[in-house]
Amino acid sequence: MLLALRRIEKRFGGVVALRDGNLAVEAGKVHLLLGENGAGKSTLMKIVAGMIQPDGGEVIWQGRPVRFRRPSEAAAAGIAMVHQESLLAPHLTVAENIFLGRAPAAAMGFVRRRRMLEMAESLIEEHRFPLQASWRVERLSPAGKQLVEICRAIQRGSSLLVFDEPTSSLSEAETREVFRIVRALRDRGVGTVYITHRMEELRAVGDQVTILRDGATVHSGDLAAISNDEIIRHMVGREVTAIYSRTPYPPGEELLRVEGLNAGVLLRDIGFHVRAGEIVGLAGLVGAGRTELCRALFGLDPIHSGEIRIRGRQARIRSPRDAVKAGLALIPEDRQKHGLATLLPVAQNLTMANLPAVSPNGILQRSAERRAFAQYAERLRIRAESPRQIAARLSGGTQQKVVIAKWLFRGARVLLFDEPTRGIDVGAKREVFELMDGLAADGAGILMVSSEIPELLQVADRLVVMRQGRISGELPRGANQEDLLRHAMVGESAP
Amino acid sequence: MIQRLLPFLTLIALFVGLSIASPHFLTVVNLSSVVRQTAVINIMALGMTLVIVAGGIDLSVGSILAMAGLLGTMAMANGYSILTGIAVGLAAGAFWGFVNGFLITRLRIAPFIVTLGTMGIVRGLALIISNGLPVHDVPRGFSFLGDGELFHVPFALLLVLGAALVVHVILEHTRLGRYAFAIGSNPDAALYAGVPIVFHMTAVYTIGGLLTGLAGMIEASRLMTGQPTAGMTYELLAIAAVVIGGGSLRGGEGSVIGTLIGGFIMGLLSNGSDLLGISPYLQQAIIGAVIILAVAVDEFRKRKIG
Repeated sequence: MLLALRRIEKRFGGVVALRDGNLAVEAGKVHLLLGENGAGKSTLMKIVAGMIQPDGGEVIWQGRPVRFRRPSEAAAAGIAMVHQESLLAPHLTVAENIFLGRAPAAAMGFVRRRRMLEMAESLIEEHRFPLQASWRVERLSPAGKQLVEICRAIQRGSSLLVFDEPTSSLSEAETREVFRIVRALRDRGVGTVYITHRMEELRAVGDQVTILRDGATVHSGDLAAISNDEIIRHMVGREVTAIYSRTPYPPGEELLRVEGLNAGVLLRDIGFHVRAGEIVGLAGLVGAGRTELCRALFGLDPIHSGEIRIRGRQARIRSPRDAVKAGLALIPEDRQKHGLATLLPVAQNLTMANLPAVSPNGILQRSAERRAFAQYAERLRIRAESPRQIAARLSGGTQQKVVIAKWLFRGARVLLFDEPTRGIDVGAKREVFELMDGLAADGAGILMVSSEIPELLQVADRLVVMRQGRISGELPRGANQEDLLRHAMVGESAP
Repeated sequence: MIQRLLPFLTLIALFVGLSIASPHFLTVVNLSSVVRQTAVINIMALGMTLVIVAGGIDLSVGSILAMAGLLGTMAMANGYSILTGIAVGLAAGAFWGFVNGFLITRLRIAPFIVTLGTMGIVRGLALIISNGLPVHDVPRGFSFLGDGELFHVPFALLLVLGAALVVHVILEHTRLGRYAFAIGSNPDAALYAGVPIVFHMTAVYTIGGLLTGLAGMIEASRLMTGQPTAGMTYELLAIAAVVIGGGSLRGGEGSVIGTLIGGFIMGLLSNGSDLLGISPYLQQAIIGAVIILAVAVDEFRKRKIG
């Protein structure tokens, strides 16, 4: 046994990320780690890599109990991570990245450049990587960058490779290349932990499987002995505890229609619609393209082709300003970064998207601004001490309400909520849902992105499911979690 | 709170200290000369306040000042009226401010780089236009702008106060000012809110340029020449005034009153050094130290807020 994790526990503040994490990885095997968003897969791997410390349980590495206090200790022991977001130095060459921090050195700290280049070249040749040692990393594709990370792991003689959703941004051909190398390493006795969301990938590369749900290991065994349906059942495996329930409103006019949309690097042939009074849930696993869809609709990523109609009128959206003018609003995932100017007063944040309403002829009417703030503070129950309180001092839930209020003040009819409940507590979540319900009642059309599948099932009138940059299915209200996961992981054609 | 008032208290302390240390300080002649000397930097710094609040910076103001003064005096030397000459200077300033804003917003190049470039371009053009020679042929009445008095008050002081009022109103009471704070405070949030960033950033740099043009005409009036080499290193003094007065180079912070206090602190430091016989070499070092001290105190205050 290469690596064994036993009863791992980890809490972040009040949130339990892991309560009973178990995993046993053998040398020369590819071990798949599966689970819904938030099941604890990444947390578990961060513990293995020494990036975070467990609160309880044992990590046993090559037969000995260990505790990696920092990533360098895990790396020294032979554990290598291949990250979803590349952690390479973009301006250095492939060779320099492979040898980063451990370049062959001569006296006085000089690097022996030629020697390093030769060593990198022979490594690349031996494993038939489609790379050249002298290439600069910034010019590589995401797949190329992952290959460089794998090279680095091989060079260091790592005996365990951990892939955190390595193929979510790769093309099919690139994925095959990564798989070929993973298999080659397996045959040389390297152990691999592989986190993925794609069902067809599992079968192509995996030997064994461990499934996590709500921070605990619920299944472990040979991949050949388990069917796709069983895997999904293990991943869901629970009754959804209702934190919120609502009755949909009869939908009105069509507010948003998207047809044949191709955008950014990921989105292909997207089509769906949202009607007045509707809350449409946009589901999918990490990397499916949900946030990218919001960004494209809001003019943040380039749209290559396709049609967007807002209230029946074709909209040409090339910037957020176009989107706002057309009547769209985005409640972004990262409020602090994109939703608020946190150092400015709340009232100024409220009016930011509709400043002309309180500044006729360009002259600010502070009394009108205060009135607007008072009105929306009451309507949305925004708990701020005064209109002049800076936004940074508010709680996460209150900040979210300010962002929503900003769009209501603008009069937006189509609202894109990107992970609206991220980082806010349960009580505030309820309030956000109630707010969304109220908006729908007033005739707004809402597109809601969430990684929390139970939330989507409870709040949305119907669900649009995405997978690998495409719409893979639409589900009516009352669909269950298994249906959803099947669409999100396997696609429509699957059994 | 005390730390927020620190620039103001420093100014008072300097004033009182110099009154005691030198009998020549608290005289009408000396004080009105301080006011005249600081007018140029103060007016530039007021424009810079707008730019810095909006998250930008303008390194080209020293060159723009020279260009404005040169073109304005050349107009007068060629027989145009004093008012026309001043208008030419203001227009030249506004034009180059607009060019800065246009390049920054359209080419999306960092303000530091764009204005570093125009700093060289504008200075070079001023030297080419003038063959490197100053314009001396200026009508006598032009000296009123920099050295005249209205109701026994230095006219330059009235110009400073007028410019201060205008910039204050822009910052606190107009849509433009509000957008400047929004863009400077969090450009992403402003973008996501659909703020017309290009137009307003361009406007901010244009107004900054216009005020620099005015400063250029005052400088030319005080020297009674149009100097293609005028205003060297003034950009640093203008930025220093904003920063000493509590403006943040990260954007979203700054005020007219703070900038004026910053400008006068530097004016008093230099005047006081002259009166007390401190070498001008040391003066530069003192002003440099004050800049670092002011920012350090401000950072400390912000960190305590958390």
